[in-house]
Amino acid sequence: MKKLNILFMFAIGLFLVSCEIEPISNPNDPAQGDVTQDASISELNALTSGIEDLLRSEVGFYYDVVSIVGRDYWFFTGSDPRYTGEILGKGESQLDNAGFYGNRPYAARYRTVKAVNLLTEALANTTAPLTDAEKSGYLGFAKTMQAYELHLALNLQYQNGIRVDVADPNALGDFVSYDEALSFIANLLNEANTDLGAAGDAFRFTLTSAFEGFNTPASFATFNRGIAARIALYQGDMSAASGYLAGSFMDMSNPLSGGPARYYANAAGDQANPLFRVPGNSDGIIAHPSWVAAVDPADARAAKIASREEISLDDLTGDHDVLVFGSLDDNVPFMTNEELILISAEANVGSDNSAAVAAIDAIRTANGLAAYGGGTSDSELMDEIAAQRQLSLFGLGHRWVDMRRWNRLDEVPLDRGDDDVWVQFPRPVSEN
Amino acid sequence: MKNFIQKLTLSLVLFLGTTAAAIAQGSVTGNVSDNEGSALIGASVLEKGTTNGTVTDLDGNFTITMNSFPATLEISYTGYETQSLEVTSGGNVSITLENSATQLDVVVVTGLASNIKRSNLANNVASISSKELTGVAVSNTTETALYGKASGTNIVASSGAPGGGISMKLRGTTSINGSSQPLFIIDGIFIDNSSIPAGLNIVSRAASGGSSSNQDNPSNRLADIDPNDIETIEILKGASAAAIYGNRAAGGVVIITTKKGKAGKTNINFGQSIGWTEMLNPLGVRQFTSENIANSSRFGNPTDIAAFEAAQAAGQLFNYEEELYGNKGLLSNTRLSMSGGNEKTQFFFGSTFKNEEGIVENTGYDKASLRLNVGHKINSWLDVDLTSNYVRSSADRGFFNNDNSGTTMGISFTSTPSWANLLPDENGNYPANPYGTSNFLETAAKVTNNETVNRFMGGAKLTAKLFTNDNSSLKAIVNTGFDTYNLYTLASFPNTVQFQRDGNGLNGVAVHGNSNVTRRNASAFLLYTNSMDNGLISRTQVGVTYDDYDRNSIISESFDFVNTLTNLDQGVNIGGTQFRQVSVNKGFFVQEELNYNDQIIATVGLRGDKSSLNGDPNKMFYYPKASLAVNLHEIIELPSTLSNFKLRTAYGQSSKTPEFLDKYSLYNQSAIGGLPAYTPSSLYGNPVITPERQTEIEFGADFGFLNNRLLLDATYYIKTVDDLILRAQVPSSSGYSVQVTNGASLENKGIELGLSANIIESDNLNWNARLSWWTNSALVTELSIPSYTTGGFADFLGNYRIKEGRSPTEIIGVIDDTALQDEDGLYVYGDAEPDWQMSWFNGLSFGDLEINWLLHWKQGGENINLSALLFDLNETTHDYDDTDLDPSGQLNNGDYRLSLLGTSTAPYIQDAGYIRLREIGAYYKLPVTLGDSGTLTLGVSGTNLINIFEYDSYDPEVSNFGSGGLSTGVEVTPFPSSKRVNFHIKANF
Repeated sequence: MKKLNILFMFAIGLFLVSCEIEPISNPNDPAQGDVTQDASISELNALTSGIEDLLRSEVGFYYDVVSIVGRDYWFFTGSDPRYTGEILGKGESQLDNAGFYGNRPYAARYRTVKAVNLLTEALANTTAPLTDAEKSGYLGFAKTMQAYELHLALNLQYQNGIRVDVADPNALGDFVSYDEALSFIANLLNEANTDLGAAGDAFRFTLTSAFEGFNTPASFATFNRGIAARIALYQGDMSAASGYLAGSFMDMSNPLSGGPARYYANAAGDQANPLFRVPGNSDGIIAHPSWVAAVDPADARAAKIASREEISLDDLTGDHDVLVFGSLDDNVPFMTNEELILISAEANVGSDNSAAVAAIDAIRTANGLAAYGGGTSDSELMDEIAAQRQLSLFGLGHRWVDMRRWNRLDEVPLDRGDDDVWVQFPRPVSEN
Repeated sequence: MKNFIQKLTLSLVLFLGTTAAAIAQGSVTGNVSDNEGSALIGASVLEKGTTNGTVTDLDGNFTITMNSFPATLEISYTGYETQSLEVTSGGNVSITLENSATQLDVVVVTGLASNIKRSNLANNVASISSKELTGVAVSNTTETALYGKASGTNIVASSGAPGGGISMKLRGTTSINGSSQPLFIIDGIFIDNSSIPAGLNIVSRAASGGSSSNQDNPSNRLADIDPNDIETIEILKGASAAAIYGNRAAGGVVIITTKKGKAGKTNINFGQSIGWTEMLNPLGVRQFTSENIANSSRFGNPTDIAAFEAAQAAGQLFNYEEELYGNKGLLSNTRLSMSGGNEKTQFFFGSTFKNEEGIVENTGYDKASLRLNVGHKINSWLDVDLTSNYVRSSADRGFFNNDNSGTTMGISFTSTPSWANLLPDENGNYPANPYGTSNFLETAAKVTNNETVNRFMGGAKLTAKLFTNDNSSLKAIVNTGFDTYNLYTLASFPNTVQFQRDGNGLNGVAVHGNSNVTRRNASAFLLYTNSMDNGLISRTQVGVTYDDYDRNSIISESFDFVNTLTNLDQGVNIGGTQFRQVSVNKGFFVQEELNYNDQIIATVGLRGDKSSLNGDPNKMFYYPKASLAVNLHEIIELPSTLSNFKLRTAYGQSSKTPEFLDKYSLYNQSAIGGLPAYTPSSLYGNPVITPERQTEIEFGADFGFLNNRLLLDATYYIKTVDDLILRAQVPSSSGYSVQVTNGASLENKGIELGLSANIIESDNLNWNARLSWWTNSALVTELSIPSYTTGGFADFLGNYRIKEGRSPTEIIGVIDDTALQDEDGLYVYGDAEPDWQMSWFNGLSFGDLEINWLLHWKQGGENINLSALLFDLNETTHDYDDTDLDPSGQLNNGDYRLSLLGTSTAPYIQDAGYIRLREIGAYYKLPVTLGDSGTLTLGVSGTNLINIFEYDSYDPEVSNFGSGGLSTGVEVTPFPSSKRVNFHIKANF
């Protein structure tokens, strides 16, 4: 080899360094900025499916903690003591503002909110051949789900309030109070409903089978109105609730029919139902004894639990597994027809008590119970509605929220001397 | 061109030669041998103060034509004392070199293109010889062989599982978010030391609870390197020594040089060791009685009491610690190496076959390593050094650490009382564990968690002497390195285990991982040396560097199996993920070193670097360095006992590039009901992210007494890191959870002391010892975001906190006494960083018997021990019934600790200090001769035979979250550590 060659190699070396480094775009995933700039229709559809996917994100934690605080059930696990500790207010323990149980479901709801905002932005910029009606379809779906997610976050935070203006991550809006947040959500739902009304006959995107019966602008709007009715109930605006119910998918003649849901499938690449646990295990969801006592064995809803060998953990003892969901493939509903009927019952109390009784009876008889035979005073009816809601909406994240809005948290049964029922979760540490 | 240069060189030589001849003329011939009379081949002979020199030939002879008389000849050879000889005229001399009693003459590889004698070094560079590394005991992997052998290092094992897993920090934490691990370079090859997870989370669901980080605890890939091939290891602990490595060097640099062949007789070494491994520190299990069960809130029901009593009557109470961890694993290590060559070509061949069982059934480690190093002189001015290493390793690591499904063996063990019968029946069917989701004995028997590596590392170094005359020389050094491997992981959970059968779990899971990783590097340097008449030698180097990295990992999961095969196709549901990572770095380096008669050595240099990992890939970042060493004993008259006295200082900067994903805000791709979906990632990327810049200054003094029989060195350093990259928590209502930002600074300060001594030096008896003591303390000096806790599971379970003015590794927890709470409402229970560490190496030889041992003392430093918590929660802790904790004497230990849960984290943050007999080995050279001059040596050695610690678990060295990041020292039911005993036979022909 010649010395010249060595010098030549040096020249190559110098060249290698002096030339530019090509920017490397991430080979694994698309960048948010690139998609927002100019999304194709398949990308926009991936964004809507992304919203549907995110609706499931960490939602198992949401239902578990809300159901545990509301004493629908306990979660016995050797892996984490907080399920039977802090969440139940054991001893002197307090909820942790860095705890996963409050923060992960909260943060996940805002990821959906973010996904909706990114979709909105992408719709404004896209040059893909879409009609205005088709764009309205995307918006109506996305905003409805954004409103829904905000209301779940609000359920956790309650009087702490939440942020509703979060489009710019570098300049987040202030926290608004519980009541203001409810108004914002109600308005957003109405806006979405208007979009849905202008969206033509069909969505340009595809929803999963969990939205079977709700996958056109018109049918999806009946879900939008159902959520609006729930929000009106939270606002205490009973006439508004009744009004929204009229446009909802409420069906008195078929009380146990379902509603739109989060899609789950126990398949690779998809998500399995996080709320199903194999009965009989030492790690399991154990029905709260108060619920076991409340359900009549003849009630069809008694099938939501199954008796098991007695199990104890952390000074708690139970003997029924929870079977609200029967497999890893079960969808988790956003809202059921049963709830709409019960909203109708509640909305009528004080104005049309016989309509309320009719709604209660629709639920009772559909579940194999005799018609309601108790007193029909407002308070007696409210007690019955509370009882029916406890049974019908078991494990679906309502009991705690209901008892709170009725100012009846002090009636939630506690199991150990120093247990507490929390009013709300602390504002996540990241928000401070 | 060649002719021209040769002519030019020739005329220069002739010119200078005739000038010199005018003054004096003559050549000196001679012979160099060691004190046993053997010729030393390749010893360097130099006319002091010039670049005029030669090397000895195969018989140890040399001839050198002197420039002038009188002159001093300097004869040096690695491992021997350098000798100076005054010559006044030509003639014949005979020189005997003494074995180097001290390390001062050893050449230290510190640079990309240059070496420096230790006595001229301005940094405290730790050097570890092959004898210290592997001469005492047989270690599991290279990294475990490093324990306690270098000051300023903090090495923590993350798993006791076969195949290892280790975290190594040099002079403290240098990154909060990224890894503080050093760069490992073997013979110029930048090697990859990644830890690539095997995808166990699908079953363990460890990332679905309080921590969303990966807890698979894979081994790191340094484990592949065979320590027996290593000649020396040099550790550059910070930017002042490692600035020339620029943005690769923030964690320090570990330079490994493997053995090379020497011209002469072919030397063959064969060694076989065989031994066993056993659990290091069995804790025992809770001794149940009818009484304590009756008082138990978990077991105090009639069913459990009856079950216990029946088992007791039948003599069926088990010690499950022994059942699970009681395997005495067989260790076997076979070594064959060969070296030799002639003047033109030398070779070294090393091969190792290792087969080790673990302390849990069906775990173990298998490795085959082949190395061939060849050095060849192409012609008078061109040398090439080629290194190649092929490794195949396979580690069966068991299924341990945290889970959220009760499936790992460790978690399941904590939940199981002694009366549960988990043993298989006569047909080999395991019963379901009535007290847990899994039967850990069944898991051990049936579950596979294997990592198999096929790896090739190769390097070539070309040295060209472009130009040489009496006073100056110009060399070109071109170096390339290539490291590529395939890592195949198989995690299989057959559908017959408790947590997969009968509809529990996923009816059998197989996770196949396949990673291909390639790391390449190249550098080209020009090195110009010029000696001046006044004794000043200047060495100038300038060069360019390039390195890149490419990883492609594919993990395929398959579940719903009909049979117990592990083939992907056999599962009904198959899915997969892929992760690619690519990066490119380019840089240059210039350095000027001035050496005045070995009295004063000064260096200045500058490195420039750009990287695709930075926000702007083409922005050049600059890192200066400067150092000064003054050998006072060469300059002034000192007391005769003080044979060496050096003052030194060094300054340098280096950096750490951002992590691969730091600059991107991405969509994750997923699917729902078969529809493709984009979901925005929760990471808010930063497109203008810049590297973390480290600045280090160190001061030191080295003393040698009694002809350097006693050496003392003292070093103080201050190492600051600015622009630390944080994954700062952002309000989660933004839709993101963390944002990448350059937003913090930290500072490490430390002291390193070393004392080595030849305590006894006689014909028959030799005793040398080295004592090292070091300490480091760190402080977050600036934090642009509010203080936050990270790295653990939750504050009440113990967590790390990043807070301005505090140590970055401090461990906080909750406390109910508001008077003791700090402004965050928390209490500092400890710090992962040890107070100090000390190691004491001893070598004792008596005739042909040699005994070496290494003691290692780590004082202080705390762990978060959540194994203890899990045992307590399951009421199975070994000391549950003791009553030495509750100050009121009311509660037993278990109940007492649990009563504090949520109100005080104190019981589970524990002192992780230890004193260990790391290694001890005794070797005896038998009085027989094999063949002409071969030797036969027998030996016995042990690793971790004595362990003294208060920490309430198997070993204070643990890390549930693996080797990266900050949070080493969180324990959740790891694979326990083990001790090892080996018997050796070695033959040398």
